Amino acid sequence: MTRLADGETRRLAEFTVPSEPGNERLVLTRVADAIADHGLSERNLDRLKTAVAETAMNAIEHGNRNRSELPVRVEVDVDGQAIVVAVTDHGGDRAGGAGAGGEPVEPDIDLKLAGEQSTRGWGLFLIRHMVDAVDETTHGAWHTVRLVMRLGTAGEQGDGEGDGR
Amino acid sequence: MTGCGAVVRQVAGGAVIVLSGDIDGSAADVLSGAYQRAVADGDPATVVLDFSSVGYINSTGIALIVSVLAMARSQRRKVVACGLSDHYREIFDITRLSDFIELFGGLDEAVSQLVQTAG
Repeated sequence: MTRLADGETRRLAEFTVPSEPGNERLVLTRVADAIADHGLSERNLDRLKTAVAETAMNAIEHGNRNRSELPVRVEVDVDGQAIVVAVTDHGGDRAGGAGAGGEPVEPDIDLKLAGEQSTRGWGLFLIRHMVDAVDETTHGAWHTVRLVMRLGTAGEQGDGEGDGR
Repeated sequence: MTGCGAVVRQVAGGAVIVLSGDIDGSAADVLSGAYQRAVADGDPATVVLDFSSVGYINSTGIALIVSVLAMARSQRRKVVACGLSDHYREIFDITRLSDFIELFGGLDEAVSQLVQTAG
């Protein structure tokens, strides 16, 4: 692992995948390969992988509606502080909470077990709990979700629920 | 990507579903079918989900596990789990699945607990 100068950002990977069910696993594998040896603990690596897979699945299913001709774009960057994974789809026209992919309701297992809430709806919940920060931006037709996993002690000790979410 | 597999066997005090592969949307029929087979014979009080050979669980897989748990609770059966990695144990904690599914390290530990309960 090469130490980066302050403010320096390095692109580790940049690729697209067709919006086909299951391709979130391809995204997960390629991101994991890109960030290997960049200072994440095994625990945070597993957490980021889960967040990446869930974000990619939302992009494929909800952003691009499983239309294989619409690619999901993935960019992986590292700076001295964090790994940043950006996942972009064509869902810029989605209603608010686009990253949720139709999951605006906070999942509650008590309600789910009582049959008062769908058993589904865990995707965004997992994403938010797995990484240090999540933000969404929309530019025209494009919708991007950025996942931030800090390097070093902050990320190692955090529970993923910080950053004002 | 590895398809989900499930092997069901009866033990003293319960039934064991040994899962393998990926627990995602494609696992729905396998998981529900395995649960039905597990409870069809012997009316087990407890169903053990063994995740030792599971490499991946996504949000849809979590939903499937919640469905199995809901079904078991409606039939007054207990569900326990074993073989989860530290990462998936954390996810069971975050989702509060672990409030309803007791977690054991390995299958032997889970089954011995069943035997003690049955005895």
